[in-house]
Amino acid sequence: MKSLQRILLSLLLMSATCTALAQYYSGEHTYDGENQNEASASVTTGKNIITGPCIGNTVHYKHYFNDHWSVDGGLNAQYTKQLYGFKAKGEYHFKVKSFHMFASAELLYNRYFKYKTNEIDGNISIRFERGYWDITLGETLINYTIGESGYTELPTLTFGAHASLRPRTNNWNVGLLFRNYDDFYYENWNINWGLDFYYRFNPRWKMFGEFNIRPAGSMSQLASKYETTGKVGVIYRWK
Amino acid sequence: MEIIMKTSYTYILFTATLLAASGLFSSCEKVSPQGVLLGNTSVDDRVKQSMLFYTYHGDDMDWYLVDSIEEYSFLVGSDSHITFDPGRLSEMMQTGIENDDLFYCHLGDLADTKPEYYYNTQVAIYNGTRDWRFKYIKPLIDEYHTPEDGMYYDKRIIPTSRNYAKSWERWTVPFYPVAGNHDITHNGWSLFCQQFHTSFYEFTVKVGDSYDRFIFLDSANGTLGDFQIDAIEDKALQNDDKPIRNTFTFTHTNIFRPTMNEFASTYCREELYYLLNKLEEWDTTIAFWGHVHAWDDRMFNGVRHITMRSMNFVDHPNGGDNLLVRVTVKKDGTCEVSPVGLYSKERSKTELESLGYYVTTK
Repeated sequence: MKSLQRILLSLLLMSATCTALAQYYSGEHTYDGENQNEASASVTTGKNIITGPCIGNTVHYKHYFNDHWSVDGGLNAQYTKQLYGFKAKGEYHFKVKSFHMFASAELLYNRYFKYKTNEIDGNISIRFERGYWDITLGETLINYTIGESGYTELPTLTFGAHASLRPRTNNWNVGLLFRNYDDFYYENWNINWGLDFYYRFNPRWKMFGEFNIRPAGSMSQLASKYETTGKVGVIYRWK
Repeated sequence: MEIIMKTSYTYILFTATLLAASGLFSSCEKVSPQGVLLGNTSVDDRVKQSMLFYTYHGDDMDWYLVDSIEEYSFLVGSDSHITFDPGRLSEMMQTGIENDDLFYCHLGDLADTKPEYYYNTQVAIYNGTRDWRFKYIKPLIDEYHTPEDGMYYDKRIIPTSRNYAKSWERWTVPFYPVAGNHDITHNGWSLFCQQFHTSFYEFTVKVGDSYDRFIFLDSANGTLGDFQIDAIEDKALQNDDKPIRNTFTFTHTNIFRPTMNEFASTYCREELYYLLNKLEEWDTTIAFWGHVHAWDDRMFNGVRHITMRSMNFVDHPNGGDNLLVRVTVKKDGTCEVSPVGLYSKERSKTELESLGYYVTTK
């Protein structure tokens, strides 16, 4: 009985501690009041069943105008896949009670050289963020062209969920992700999942990484191996 | 205290959502809870098995039509989702036999996930085989064979072809399916392959000097998988070197999404574009897709893509005029696609039992 009381008390204390930390959350993706610029570079490697082993780089630049508005641009070069893309994104941040909300609009262009395919994606999303987790919901319009033929898919529901072991204010973190998109692609009902982490050296430098499983199929389709990748990179913030 | 209450409320809400989601997945027989993230049935294993069968029997699959046949037709159906009444699949075969269609293609999801429904699928195939044999298979009588030899032939096939003469029981209805996602859940592949042996194969139809090519791809998991892609690239299918007039492809998972309110996954991006390029490379005349139970007919990159309606009782309880399509390949190689109706209604358990069917309770 005593051990049961001890477990319950510990759980209660842990919950209260987490809650207290969550209340001081300042928002990982928000303007910190000092550094308006943010740049990141990463390398991705893994294996895809269509293109085989893959390796590539991505770079991002983000500018915070103020606590509400920011813009983001990115470049993606996947050498073995012969996939090159760039994107532009605008985001508006606001708070509703204790939720940090991020409304965003994004335009993404991908050129799949190997398959002579041009792809343009437009996405609008809203992200609900708390100290330990966030959920993203949105709609994506995907258009692709091969030769003289083009097709615009009907709008696809975009969804994502992420949960962290530690609060976002912590210097390190490990999280779980579950979503049907990534930085440079949007899928239909193919659900990615994986682990991510970061380590913050100081307010300006941060290292991050991700292990991403991108299966083909989902739900009743018994998802099957499609792509597995690992990504590591650094983020630098400055005034 | 207020903080603790708020946190508890959030945690309870989050947990309740997770529980509701897991409950939904596990209560629905059509959705495999573990399959949401990663499946336990491998397309690679299925394709390896299919390739083995194809290696031994690929040559037997080709059709060499007699000279008097200048044009021919075939039927295509999809997503029959047979449960306890195999009626619609039987009707498909009866329609084909009545109209002298050369063969019948099915785009997967033959039966609805449960092993006992495969028995009913088998019944439909058995009845179709019986009726088809009586119409087309004749005893082989020449200077070498007598009916007592037990050798028979299909009167539409020229005698020089390898599969010309067989014993009576080796002739089965020419029904060519691919596996769909419902054919592989709950260990469905072991039942599917017992009946149909393969889900990745091709054959040709030779009419005069022309060959038409029919390629069947396994996309039940929403991907062709490593092994199948390699096999295609290594030209493991045998007819790349023939002078091909028309190519037709058949697979389950669709590319084009006819409706917004379906939550079916399609191929991941690179694979989607790979497939569209491969169809162009094969100079495909028509690519047939299933899975979404909705009709779509469009030209893309020189290929006609037809996404089929389902033929099952749930989606179409009263049948319909366009649940199948018939493709007529004419003498000059042009193709005509026409809708074909299915009208049978699902029979009651009592009615089926009175006809000698064994009906399990739901």
